[in-house]
Amino acid sequence: MSSEVPTPLAAQLRDVDKAFYGVKANDSVNFDLARGEVHALLGENGAGKSTLCSILAGLYRPDSGEMRMGGEQVLFKSPKDALAAGVGMVYQHFRLVLNLTVAENLALGHPDVGVRLNEKQLHQSAVDLGEKYGLPVDPAARIWQLSVGEQQRVEILKLLYRNAQILILDEPTAVLTPQEGKILFKTMRQMAAEGRSVIFVSHKLDEVKQVSDRVTVLRDGKTVGGVATADAEPRDLARMMVGRDLELPTRGAQVDVGRVRLGVADIRVQGDRGLEAVSGMSFDVHGGEVVGIAGVSGNGQRELAQGLVGLRKLTSGTIEIDGVDVTGTTVFDRIEAGVAYVPQSRLGMGLSPGLTTEENLALKAFRRPPYSKGRRLVASAFRDEGARQIEQYDIRGVRPGLPIRLLSGGNLQKALLAREVELEPKVLILRSPTRGLDVGATEAVRNLVLAERARGVAVLLISEDLDELMALADRLLVIYEGEVVGQMSTEEATAERLGLLMSGQREEAS
Amino acid sequence: MAARRFIVEPRGLASWRLRLLVPVLSVVAALVVCAVFLALTGENPFDVYAQMIDSAFGSARGLAETLISATPLILTGVAAAIAFKMLVWNIGGEGQFIMGAIFAAGFAIWLGDSAPAVIALPVVIIAGGLGGAVWASIAAIPRVYLGTNEIITTLMLNFIALNLMNFLIFGSSSPWRDPEVSTFPQGRPVPEAARLPEFFIRLDVGIFIAIALAVAAWFLIGKTGWGFAVRIVGDSADSARYAGIRVPQKILGIFLLSGAAAGFAGGLFVSGPVGALDPRSLDLGLGFTGIIVAALAGLHLLVVIPVAVLMGALNNAGPALQSIGVPTATVTMLQGAILIFAVAGEFFIANRIRRPEPDKVPELEEVAT
Repeated sequence: MSSEVPTPLAAQLRDVDKAFYGVKANDSVNFDLARGEVHALLGENGAGKSTLCSILAGLYRPDSGEMRMGGEQVLFKSPKDALAAGVGMVYQHFRLVLNLTVAENLALGHPDVGVRLNEKQLHQSAVDLGEKYGLPVDPAARIWQLSVGEQQRVEILKLLYRNAQILILDEPTAVLTPQEGKILFKTMRQMAAEGRSVIFVSHKLDEVKQVSDRVTVLRDGKTVGGVATADAEPRDLARMMVGRDLELPTRGAQVDVGRVRLGVADIRVQGDRGLEAVSGMSFDVHGGEVVGIAGVSGNGQRELAQGLVGLRKLTSGTIEIDGVDVTGTTVFDRIEAGVAYVPQSRLGMGLSPGLTTEENLALKAFRRPPYSKGRRLVASAFRDEGARQIEQYDIRGVRPGLPIRLLSGGNLQKALLAREVELEPKVLILRSPTRGLDVGATEAVRNLVLAERARGVAVLLISEDLDELMALADRLLVIYEGEVVGQMSTEEATAERLGLLMSGQREEAS
Repeated sequence: MAARRFIVEPRGLASWRLRLLVPVLSVVAALVVCAVFLALTGENPFDVYAQMIDSAFGSARGLAETLISATPLILTGVAAAIAFKMLVWNIGGEGQFIMGAIFAAGFAIWLGDSAPAVIALPVVIIAGGLGGAVWASIAAIPRVYLGTNEIITTLMLNFIALNLMNFLIFGSSSPWRDPEVSTFPQGRPVPEAARLPEFFIRLDVGIFIAIALAVAAWFLIGKTGWGFAVRIVGDSADSARYAGIRVPQKILGIFLLSGAAAGFAGGLFVSGPVGALDPRSLDLGLGFTGIIVAALAGLHLLVVIPVAVLMGALNNAGPALQSIGVPTATVTMLQGAILIFAVAGEFFIANRIRRPEPDKVPELEEVAT
């Protein structure tokens, strides 16, 4: 099962256990990391990848088991200990101080930086490091001024500035364009060539294949194998991840496209800082059609979705549902008009975390029968409707009285989507609906979306994940800085072409 | 690797047994701690506690007095619980209570002796609720539309209400002041028609009104669509906005209801045991004690009722203690201790503490060598 492990070893985990709520997130995990390798960590969501990384980075302490660094047994009490031992991590959610400059962020918490900053020297080393690793940054720029990709560079530089020998990158490509991803891969290879070890967490097989030397697969908290990447076929890796052969959902041929159900004309929406985030978008979504909105995160996706459902006011433009103008109406009015919405933040917005699953399934429909009789709630309807939907949509882990926040990500999304679909919407707006879900839940969500499409619903899929877009959308619009910069049918789309558009290079109108 | 002796981890769902056990143990722990203090001051804690129980529940008279004390606490407890549960930090129950009393007494005096009880009683009771709601609105409206901090505004309004009451009685010849007594100012007695009928020694029907209002509040929050919307707002305002719920309107509603509940308490107190706007009887901190009641009841609107009876019993035991030479402050100390233990007990409801699994321990020792 395990291939020959190259020596010398940089880090080693033996029989590491870590449990949360009595559930084992890591179960007798064994992991060998060699010096000078890019080591991919593959696994479905909830397989224990993040837990394993967090143990290595000192954020969690294992319940039992042994951890060695360069042969020495170690116990990290905090990320500070781990950094001192040369282990650093770039988390999915960056740990940068938004109001400080790039250089200040590099200096922050560095053991050699005293009370006074030597700014000149700091700036110089930031520039030098950036040049050396192909991570150019402006040391004087403040973090909030940077794009997500640039912020990621700062995170990596922070680790290099501390001369970390083991760098853990948790799903770093999720926020990058394919082109930016390629540059990152180059940086990763260079760091490995210097003898550093890079742990690359991903669930994208092609990326793993492209950049890593070896792969360790996690499933249900256990390590199911470590292999040299060159020997591994993507199909084998996929099977190791899910424990069975994968079937990608087949998108049936497009049923007849109906009339326009969602008509958007030249809308403009402001972002949180008062800057225009959506700058004059126009598009139509027909019944029975899935239109994908592709783009790198932060190019107006959030504001577009919130503008469409009424959570954000438009500064201009119009929105029509089945030919009826709903532009100035409230969120409630739009729900009544048939707009369903699956937001990106499941627990922060789409679901009320402290309420039960049954209550969450009624979050929008509670005002009408069967949930309400006049002004009174009907307890039996909550129970019976809840039980039916939990069964029908295969929502697992529900117990009476249990707050929904304690369900797993996949089950949360199934519950959210179940509720929206049960409203029998005319328009369904989805934000990255399969983000972070395991294969089983992804399949369930995709099937639900495709069933809505077959029912004649107009589906707008706003996503940063090209795989998701390619799997579901009939037609793609690419957005950049709040504008539609290109569109094509999914058949015509290639990762290359989308990537160029997503990074802001317009195509000449043909 | 060092083995840890205890592991603290968040608990998913606390059982009802635990939810019951923690407040009961909080009371027991508070009794134990206060017993130590009593013993240190030379009292026999068992005698003191026996005296307290006897004075609160040992006689028909004691029981009636306990329930009289419990009546306003049920409502000020509901006022705090309903607001805190929805993350509205109304700590102005005290002021809203006083304002309820001022409104109730004012309407009763304005109606005079001419109005029959069937008119006077409902008017006076509703006036109490209205007074509390009006007072709460002064903090609620800026909170909802301008984002002011209601902790500060409601707290300040308590002092204004208290001083307004003192002004009406001590500082002016207002209609609230009894014109017949000139030596030491006191409140004008409300007409007999505006007094709640007594049915058990001094106990009046206010206790039933308070319980009915608590049940009504519980029904409104738990069993109606409006209450469901409010619970969503209390759990996550973003989720509520997403679900098409008008969040400001719901927060305003809860704030006013909370104020009304405290106002009802003031109104019932005036038309019940006190019978006048009497600062000496009304300035007992009943609004603040409501916060303790709500905390100890776990913010549950029905549990507030028995907890208020317990707190009423404690309040009532104070004077009785004085008769055996124990300071009444003992009661305040006991109430404070109960609150501290109840709040600390929340930790045990939210978290589980366990030993590491025993079969892992030898392995850890092996590793350590």
